[in-house]
Amino acid sequence: MSGANNDKDLVERCRQGQDEAWRELVDRFGQKVYSVAYHFTLKREDAEELSQEIFLKIFENLHRYEGTFPLVAWVVSISRNLCIDRYRRLKREKSFRFVSDEAVAPLLTSSDDPAALALRKERTRMLFSALSEIPEDLAEILVLRDLDGLAYEEIGQALELPEGTVKSRLFRARAEVARRIRERHDSRAQGTPLAVVAAAFA
Amino acid sequence: MSCSEAERLFVAGAPHAAQRAHAASCPACAAAFRDHEEVAGLTSFLRPPAWSPGLRQALARVPALTVSCEGADALIARMLEGEIDDSERARLDFHRSRCGACAEAAETLLGIRALTAPVPAPWFTGRMAASVRPRATRAARSGWRAFIGPKTAIALAYAAAFVVMILGFNPADMARRARTDLPAEARSVVAGAGTTLADRVGAVEERILRTALVVRSRVFGYGRAALTNAVQLVLKSEAPAPSGRPRNGSEKGTPPKNETAITTWRA
Repeated sequence: MSGANNDKDLVERCRQGQDEAWRELVDRFGQKVYSVAYHFTLKREDAEELSQEIFLKIFENLHRYEGTFPLVAWVVSISRNLCIDRYRRLKREKSFRFVSDEAVAPLLTSSDDPAALALRKERTRMLFSALSEIPEDLAEILVLRDLDGLAYEEIGQALELPEGTVKSRLFRARAEVARRIRERHDSRAQGTPLAVVAAAFA
Repeated sequence: MSCSEAERLFVAGAPHAAQRAHAASCPACAAAFRDHEEVAGLTSFLRPPAWSPGLRQALARVPALTVSCEGADALIARMLEGEIDDSERARLDFHRSRCGACAEAAETLLGIRALTAPVPAPWFTGRMAASVRPRATRAARSGWRAFIGPKTAIALAYAAAFVVMILGFNPADMARRARTDLPAEARSVVAGAGTTLADRVGAVEERILRTALVVRSRVFGYGRAALTNAVQLVLKSEAPAPSGRPRNGSEKGTPPKNETAITTWRA
């Protein structure tokens, strides 16, 4: 059975009320949905609440899935719509002004080298801070591609964009993030006491 | 200096080596390519956040919490019949709290029972009774009425009256005569009076005279009216307008040449 037919069959069984089909759907997409939710919220509680909201939405709208594109793209599309709403609210509330170590800790693999781990934490915090500053249509592409590992085709289907547009936005998103990180790094270097003293005696 | 070749190569899916080679030869693209690579490297060591077993269990319980929109339609229909249990009602209520369209549909359908019966207009009862009464009499008709309706009977009566009138009988006169109650002596005088030839000639003569009077009065009347109209037409007739427009201002105030003659004639 092909992937599209498999997806359609799974959705049909879920619509018929088969519990094992719903559990299969949860197992297939639960991790991905939670990952997307976490990358947009950076809080475990918010991500779990958002994941439940996403799966409620999926269940209530199963009859709308027509099987014309992969189920993962449909799931990501619903996830993205709800996550974007939450993301905008968080940005309005300035919740992304400071990214804590606890927020990025679940994203890092443990390491025996504390210095390397600290460096990764710092880079990850800078990455998410920069992401919160760039336009959201660029940020969401970078999150879905680089953090959630979605294929270009899946992102295009989820966001209803041509694949070329997805790649172009990803390229610009990376350039924007790099620029923000560089600016932040430069300002921090100038803000150190040594730099202040040097500037005073210059 | 700007060059978008690095972006173009990336969008076109060119091999990484080709992108790197262009960046090495193009100073404008070198920085962009370096940024691109660095940010991609920033995310390479990140792993997806692990979802907890508790979340998995919560997600698996979603079908017990709510219903789909199509499932809500069926539950609303059953709820109107009072056939849903508490768990189904809880799922439907939860769904209604989240879905505006289903909430609206449920409120509308449930509101049907809250509607009060409309109060009829004062004339409604009488009109309904009037519309029902002919059916009752029709059902009770018997004999010849069973074959001829009221409208047909009226039409036949008019036709009979017309035939009688054509034959020379005036039903009104007949009825009047029938109602006339003459005294006995008058009735005997009338019965004894014979219709002689002189009476008939006299009657014809009287009718001729009356007709002549009517004709004469009409002729005189029409003739007098026609003569009066003719005289008025002549008196009201105006002189013919001048043939051309006046060519200068001096001729504007002068009366037509034949106006004096008309005035004299009128006088």
